[in-house]
Amino acid sequence: MSEALDLPLRAQAQAIAAGEADAAELLEATLQRIEERNPALNAIVETFPTHSREMLASAPQGSLHGVPVVIKDEWPLPWRAQRFGAADMLANPEPGESAPYRALRDAGAVIVGVGNMHELGASSTGNVSVYGPARNPWNPERCPGGSSSGPASAVAARLVAGAVGADGVGSIRYPAAYCGLTGLKPTFGRSAMAGHHMAELSTTIVSGALCADAADCRLLDSVLFGEELQAGKPPALRIGVIRDEPAEDVAPAVREACEAAIEDLREATGGEVREVELPELAAATLATVLIANSESLGSITPERLNSLDPELSPLGRGLLKYRVLLPAVATIKAQQLRTLARHTLAKVFEGVDVIAWPTVPAVAPPLEAPMVELPSGTLTADEANVRGGALANLTGIPAISVPVGSSDGLPIGLQLQAAWGRDELLLDAAEALEQANGRRWVEAVPPPARGAETLEA
Amino acid sequence: MDPAASQDDFIPAGLAAFGIEADEIELAVINAAHQLFWPPILELLSIDTSAVPVERNPDLSQAPPSR
Repeated sequence: MSEALDLPLRAQAQAIAAGEADAAELLEATLQRIEERNPALNAIVETFPTHSREMLASAPQGSLHGVPVVIKDEWPLPWRAQRFGAADMLANPEPGESAPYRALRDAGAVIVGVGNMHELGASSTGNVSVYGPARNPWNPERCPGGSSSGPASAVAARLVAGAVGADGVGSIRYPAAYCGLTGLKPTFGRSAMAGHHMAELSTTIVSGALCADAADCRLLDSVLFGEELQAGKPPALRIGVIRDEPAEDVAPAVREACEAAIEDLREATGGEVREVELPELAAATLATVLIANSESLGSITPERLNSLDPELSPLGRGLLKYRVLLPAVATIKAQQLRTLARHTLAKVFEGVDVIAWPTVPAVAPPLEAPMVELPSGTLTADEANVRGGALANLTGIPAISVPVGSSDGLPIGLQLQAAWGRDELLLDAAEALEQANGRRWVEAVPPPARGAETLEA
Repeated sequence: MDPAASQDDFIPAGLAAFGIEADEIELAVINAAHQLFWPPILELLSIDTSAVPVERNPDLSQAPPSR
């Protein structure tokens, strides 16, 4: 077994570059580990050792030379069309070179597998997929989060040290929070997207990294951005907090951990906490869902909806058909709400550097019944999660989820959001927070990564 | 008219108008989605946005232009 296997992404890259680790050995060890650990997690839905070995054989001396990574089932590869986690994705995907694939290849990375995802990217839970659900390494009966369920599960279980996900309505940040990872939703348009079947239509989806910590995200996101995201010491952070649902209607343990983390971040940077108001927040959540759903309607015809693959889940079939009934005037209103929210945020970011609230209001719910208990009552996880995740997608701002605690053995994530283009600040702030808590949460590993080679399914 | 009460008509009439077929399970999903989404949609529609200009092709990678 390669000793490099359990190193962070950046350390794997450094070890290979320094000749201290053999990339071929690392690849074979990674494939072996996937074989051993993945059956209990279903994080990776396909490996292709021959293609991976070919990638390594022709890998340039880039920043990720020889480093194994996973990519979500949302982009085509030259040897494999994406399935979008679904038996029927209302498109005709074909194998090809997507921009994230090219970015990884040109950086010398080796794609070792495709990560599972929630069917059609349509949920924050990851509990429905044409491949069967991915499982949370911290508790395989719990949701890994969605829709980037497989990439998160794979990194959390240390099958690989980094994975590429996508975030249309929180889909990198929810699984990062549920699986105890760091996940950056970049500023809209900054990261590689070409080749995604919605790349020319979507105004919410971005690609981004899921890794154990911020430094690894910085490295992998630099590849996806096509520019080096410089590290720096964050300024005395002005941290904005709200007194609204995403911060208030949360499970007590989540609230306590996030409030403590905000205080840690304030103290670590010598900053201050300021209360801010986002009056459009509640409506912005619905606006995001309306826009994201309507943007995929262009290719839908009634005839197509009447001939959906029967293997598509009943939930998927029903929701696709319901989308057609959403009134156009509501989508126009949603666009106006987007304008309002963007202006409000621009004003708010004159007074604060980041806005902080829990990424999700409760820890990962059961796979079989993804409901969460909140002070306001019992809600579906999707209903609860979207309240905190949607704003960044609606407005285009970057956001990051950072692990800051645990409850019942399951991770808790804090979300930080910043103004457009300040992705680097979020990474700097995440690193400051890691240092402030002694890297306790980014170095925590779930049972299958502590030495036990298999999990009971 | 109670919006919730109109659901019995809205869903089947809407689907029929588009010529979309739905089995019993799909209808249950659609009805559940409608119950979840329709009240906030009505709230959204009630917001007076007459003074809000829609950004034409907004550049979501940047802050909006100052008003």
